[in-house]
Amino acid sequence: MPMAQALREFLMKKAKLEPLFKWGVRWSLWPVHLVTSCCGVEVAHTSAPGFDAERWGVLPFHTMRQSNVILVEGTVTKKMAKVLKQVYEQMPEPKFVIAMGACAVRGGLFWNSYHVVQVDTVVPVDVYIAGCPPTPEAVIRAFIMLHNKIKGKPGPYVEPVKVDLTPYLPPPPKPPAAKPAAPAPQQQQPAQ
Amino acid sequence: MSAKAPPKCPQQADHPLLAKVKEALGDAVLSHGVTPEGHLCVMVPAAKIRDVANAVKSMGFDHVLSLSAVDYMGEKKFLVMYVFASYLSPELKNQLLHVRAEIPRDDPKIASIADIFPSADYEERECHEMFGIWFEGNPHMGKRFLLDPDCCIDEKTGKPLYPLRKDFKVPDWGLMG
Repeated sequence: MPMAQALREFLMKKAKLEPLFKWGVRWSLWPVHLVTSCCGVEVAHTSAPGFDAERWGVLPFHTMRQSNVILVEGTVTKKMAKVLKQVYEQMPEPKFVIAMGACAVRGGLFWNSYHVVQVDTVVPVDVYIAGCPPTPEAVIRAFIMLHNKIKGKPGPYVEPVKVDLTPYLPPPPKPPAAKPAAPAPQQQQPAQ
Repeated sequence: MSAKAPPKCPQQADHPLLAKVKEALGDAVLSHGVTPEGHLCVMVPAAKIRDVANAVKSMGFDHVLSLSAVDYMGEKKFLVMYVFASYLSPELKNQLLHVRAEIPRDDPKIASIADIFPSADYEERECHEMFGIWFEGNPHMGKRFLLDPDCCIDEKTGKPLYPLRKDFKVPDWGLMG
């Protein structure tokens, strides 16, 4: 569709909508799970109220055709690699891949298995999460790394949130007023 | 390969089930032992495995809990290990019966017991693709069950390789080569 393609390029380049587009993508990263091992339990915690990854726009979703991140949670065998490739190709652009856990990164426990493959030999991986299994904080950190990558500054750098809380805090205690100097203790005993 | 091969039937000992098993199996019992978990273990000839399975079924064992094999590469033997258990029989509730048979490694063939114990069907298929043991009578021999169809195939001859044999080398497409 060259017409739609041209319109998209006009909007992105000429009308300078790219920052808006990136902002929209950044705050709606909807992962689809490929739960192949125990890392899926940690992702369940990530979306549970304790960690609540939806604060960063991470809404777990169940169909790959309506989501844009694929979260590979665990060991990928040669049989599952075909499924992973198919799932990846069904997702709409822009799409990202997060490889979670030691098994997905380098094979982990099954590093010399006859049947285990690395995820980055199958699909391009954007973010790796180390750990066996990684904690929910690490999963949230991976999504923030993905934010940074979409912004154009890849890396684990997280901008500190600076909020001026002084209007809401009680006034600082006043320094104690200078007391008049106490008279020097007269300990000098009369010389005899 | 400095690791010592495990004993085929751990040690000679008495077991409350032994008299009943010897009565049911007759002269098929070559030797017997007790596993570290306290279950009776008998060695039987591989040619009589169907008779043994029928006798074990008449004793009250109603399913195959596990079927696996051990590769004794030094002796050029495979040890096929059957574990029978019972759901229904109250006196066999806490008992497992290990039945083991030796077959030669260069011609690994043994009769299938999948028609006597239907739960042995999947185990035989898995054992076939992991060790290359041919269970005669099982209609699924020669097909892939759990492995990927493109995996573990010799590139020169096109024949399947069996990954749980001791002489299997993890190929180059393994992670570390």
